[in-house]
Amino acid sequence: MKPLQNLAVGYDGSPDAAIAVRWAFGTARETGATVTIVHATGLLEHLHERFSPDRLPPALLALAEECEFNTSSLRWLVEDGDACSVLLRMGSPPVNADVLVVGSRGQGKRVGLLIGSTSLEVVEHATLPVVVVPSSNATP
Amino acid sequence: MLVINGPYSDSEHEEPGHPERPERLVSAMAGVEDLHLGSDLIVAPTYSASRAELVRVHSGNYLDELGAFCYSGGGDIDQDTYATMDSWAIAKLAAGAGLKVIEELQRRNDGVGFVAARPPGHHALADRAMGFCLLNNVAVASAELLSQGERVLIIDWDVHHGNGTQQIFWDEPNVLYVSTHQWPLFPGSGSVSEVGGRHATDRTVNIPLPPGATGDVMRRAIDDIAGPVIDTFDPTWVLVSAGFDAHRDDPMADLRLTSGDFALMARCVSDFAPRPGRVVMFLEGGYDLDALRSSVHATLSAALGHSYEAEAPSNGGPGTEHVARMHQARRLAIEMLYASDATETT
Repeated sequence: MKPLQNLAVGYDGSPDAAIAVRWAFGTARETGATVTIVHATGLLEHLHERFSPDRLPPALLALAEECEFNTSSLRWLVEDGDACSVLLRMGSPPVNADVLVVGSRGQGKRVGLLIGSTSLEVVEHATLPVVVVPSSNATP
Repeated sequence: MLVINGPYSDSEHEEPGHPERPERLVSAMAGVEDLHLGSDLIVAPTYSASRAELVRVHSGNYLDELGAFCYSGGGDIDQDTYATMDSWAIAKLAAGAGLKVIEELQRRNDGVGFVAARPPGHHALADRAMGFCLLNNVAVASAELLSQGERVLIIDWDVHHGNGTQQIFWDEPNVLYVSTHQWPLFPGSGSVSEVGGRHATDRTVNIPLPPGATGDVMRRAIDDIAGPVIDTFDPTWVLVSAGFDAHRDDPMADLRLTSGDFALMARCVSDFAPRPGRVVMFLEGGYDLDALRSSVHATLSAALGHSYEAEAPSNGGPGTEHVARMHQARRLAIEMLYASDATETT
């Protein structure tokens, strides 16, 4: 297996996305990989301008500090599209991620349905390995 | 004569605060009423698309999942798209609306069709909802026409690229998909180099326009880039994904069109149809209610050949220089596709 060089992590600002970012930072620190954090800009976000492509969200800088992750190995990418489509593009240039990391959501009353769960959709369609990091609220 | 289908009593497909809301249909229908058509307004019967009609463009698994999701109470499908308990039934009505309009136009051999239905459809992929869209209404109608041996031109002037429609007909030689859209913008697809699959090369024409572009640029791009391809394709039907969010007052994007531009576009696309009774407009986006009303009025008025003093067409925005480059980029993409085919063959 080729060594991990680039982890791409989906980030929407949610607590579950932060858990996925923590996992990626920890793994990248051990393997020397870079981390590309990607945010998908949907239709509604055009009305609110939630994340700027020019500025890493303070929450991510705080997470990097908390995980003692060197920000020189950190990239921030804001892409137009729905979360699933944007994440699936991460295996292709220019990012060329080796692994895709996503938080786990959409569980609960609709367990087993793909619809409503970005992580399950990504797993279903991905052509690269996907790590789904369990939610802090996950129950055994 | 205008043949419409809708609006339906669809307040059950609604999420508080969401811009894709029932009031949009009220505005669109006000635009229809402004035409004062009297007996020249024909309302086609309500119809819910059957599973057999839907599986021509959507996977059976997706339809099962969407139905189950709605029946379990619905919720947010992604960061933009929602469904309620009633959305499945409403989406099937929206998908069936175009079928009945087509049937009515065929029976009369005359008129212009308008599908005033929601949720919109052009972002819906074969196996996934997105971008406010659950079922791809224009694709369901196109598939029906394909089954009758027709050649279908889909013109998509919504401000967002119709990635779902493009994906569904990517390799279908009897559908020509032409899209004008702002770029970069959601959904991130729609580059000039996307020209269709191996069996349908040159059957996808994307015209991405920069923020601030005006109607004159869009018309020139249609004339210069899409026009020759459409002439060669020689469509027997013209279906329009008529989104009105490229209007300058719309909050969802940054193009600068006016209702007068939509009128000119409507006249232009009507000329691509071989004879009367072969043009159907499908409501897609459009989120400023006043702009939506005036744009629907102007569009249908022009398509019907009526005179209507719409807002003056816009001009002077950026993008003229892009048009020449787009033409070259398309040619290059097509040559590369043929070259890769030849390499694989040898």
